[in-house]
Amino acid sequence: MRRFVLLLKNEFVLFRTTIPVHIIGIFQPALMFSLMALVLVTPVFDMQVSTPGAAIDNELVSAMQDVRSPIGPVYINPILVDVSPGEEIQGGQLIEFVGNEGERTAVQRFGLIDSNMVKNFRNRLTSAALVLWNESLESKAISIKQVPWLPEDIPYSVYFGMAMMPLAAILASALIGAFLTAQEFEFNTIIEYRLSPTPVYIILGSRLLRLSVTGMLSGMVLMVVVGITTGIWPSSLIWIVAILSVVALIGGSIGILAGLILKKVLPAFLIGLALSFFTWIMGSAFGLAAGFSGPYEAVSRIMPNTYAVELLFPLYYRVEIGSKFPAILFLSISSLFVVLITMLTFQKTVLNKG
Amino acid sequence: MNSIISVVSVTRQFGEIIAVDQLSFEVLPQEIFGLLGPNGAGKTTTIQMITGLLGLHGGEIQILGFNPQQNPRPVHQRISYVPQETNVYLDLNAMENLWHHAALYCEDLSTVHQKINELLDLMSLWNRRNDAVRTYSGGMKRRLALARALLHDPDVIFFDEPTLGVDVQGKHVIWEHIQKQRQLGKTFIISTNDMMEADRLCDRLVIIDNGRAIALDTPEDLKAGLGQDIVTLQTLETIENPNEIFDCMDINSVKHQQPGVLRFEVSNAELLVAEIINRVQRGNHLEAIRISRPSLDDVFLEYTGKALRD
Repeated sequence: MRRFVLLLKNEFVLFRTTIPVHIIGIFQPALMFSLMALVLVTPVFDMQVSTPGAAIDNELVSAMQDVRSPIGPVYINPILVDVSPGEEIQGGQLIEFVGNEGERTAVQRFGLIDSNMVKNFRNRLTSAALVLWNESLESKAISIKQVPWLPEDIPYSVYFGMAMMPLAAILASALIGAFLTAQEFEFNTIIEYRLSPTPVYIILGSRLLRLSVTGMLSGMVLMVVVGITTGIWPSSLIWIVAILSVVALIGGSIGILAGLILKKVLPAFLIGLALSFFTWIMGSAFGLAAGFSGPYEAVSRIMPNTYAVELLFPLYYRVEIGSKFPAILFLSISSLFVVLITMLTFQKTVLNKG
Repeated sequence: MNSIISVVSVTRQFGEIIAVDQLSFEVLPQEIFGLLGPNGAGKTTTIQMITGLLGLHGGEIQILGFNPQQNPRPVHQRISYVPQETNVYLDLNAMENLWHHAALYCEDLSTVHQKINELLDLMSLWNRRNDAVRTYSGGMKRRLALARALLHDPDVIFFDEPTLGVDVQGKHVIWEHIQKQRQLGKTFIISTNDMMEADRLCDRLVIIDNGRAIALDTPEDLKAGLGQDIVTLQTLETIENPNEIFDCMDINSVKHQQPGVLRFEVSNAELLVAEIINRVQRGNHLEAIRISRPSLDDVFLEYTGKALRD
């Protein structure tokens, strides 16, 4: 036990051989989230409206302010602006009122934005028109009542951040594991391990535990950033630690494997990077796998991130999305499997005689 | 005395290339045993086979009573290997490097702290113990590697090119440390292509060329085996007919090393020096004459027909 603790301590000391990789691995996901959160779709849209010229125009603007999530924030923040008719707009959109009294038309013009943003602006204005229509027609109108399953309307940036937490754990552990292991070959320090009488499970166990802790910390840094920027925190820290530690263990094993097989720092680093992003994108990065059908869901079902996100989801959304058992089983089996493969590869590439 | 290492007809190939060919020798306890040969002679391959890092394609090795190929663990507990390229963590300091080794090798971890302090002091690294190894000189790195090799108190230390890239002063310091450790009971197997190192440091050595042992003895006996002194003459023009000039002087191994430089061997050269000068100056312009005792390079030349540096 004392040897294991000493090896574990040494593994953390080796931090100094890979400081830039540690900075990238631990803080890059949080930085990436912070930057992407700025451009992610937010619930509240600023919508420019040219100064109303008729009573019905004002009614539409009022209706815009009533468009909201059934359980959360308003969706439109109308901003009145003075523009000349037909004036060019560079970005976003602009609503102008044209026509005679009694035959008014709200013309929504779009600037240099993508089709997704056009869809979002269009949907929101359509909703405002529907609100106005409901109000005007009163009892003759068909009212639409939306009943959400979730108790609370959580901003999409929270899902995005939550789904990035397994990425953070895997990225940090895979990159650092790949780098540390490959540099042992490049600096020839691998001979220290080759001749060591210490059993392989103690040597690799200490490295895997250290990578698991480092990866978990990376995920925790992201959790804090998500919490500070959105005000939403998970309901259980212990679960977060457990989930992130297990996925980081998988990431660490992948990183060590890349280092053992490639034996060169740069290719091992790049493989670790590529695999981390692949498992993230294919592992419920932008929505729960169950929400997608076909090939995406099929592939996502072999990604550890998918199961980690399914376990994280109830902690943020306060709802259960089914039994936790399949996710726990998958993560347990897959982590044991990759650890075993890593040990066998270590034995084959390091301990076997040439 | 029983040997501590026995290498019998060991062979190792890399593809078509035979790196070590039917090599045999024995190493005695508390001996500094040298593997001398040019780069690519098979010295490192031999060390790696003895330590169990490389497999054999023929022959047998016994070290400390064990076969390192079949039973490496008890061997690894009692040996150390310092490779050619100093394989320490450059961004860590000396203390951290030694602790790393201790965790992997030392059976009794309770005494490690004291041992590390002693070794750092012994290797004159105590004052720099907290500095990153990256800032050390080549000699300091080799001393740290030696300290690390001694940390788990091994019986046998394999030191591959102990002073490669180390300045002259640093070489002497490392040689002293190796000799001190030998007096304390350690056995060293060093590989080198430095003749001065082999000559001054090794009790016995095997000269290896193209993977084969070509001579094995103490440095003194190897040199004495040549028997004769070496005379090197430097003349303005090349001496075309040395056997005629030195007729009846019983010269051997006559060789033009380069234009104007003639080398030969002769017994009791110091008694013949005046006669040699006299004969050369009859038809040639003599610029310099050097008389030397045989070196290990001469031994190598004698056995292989080429200099160790070629």
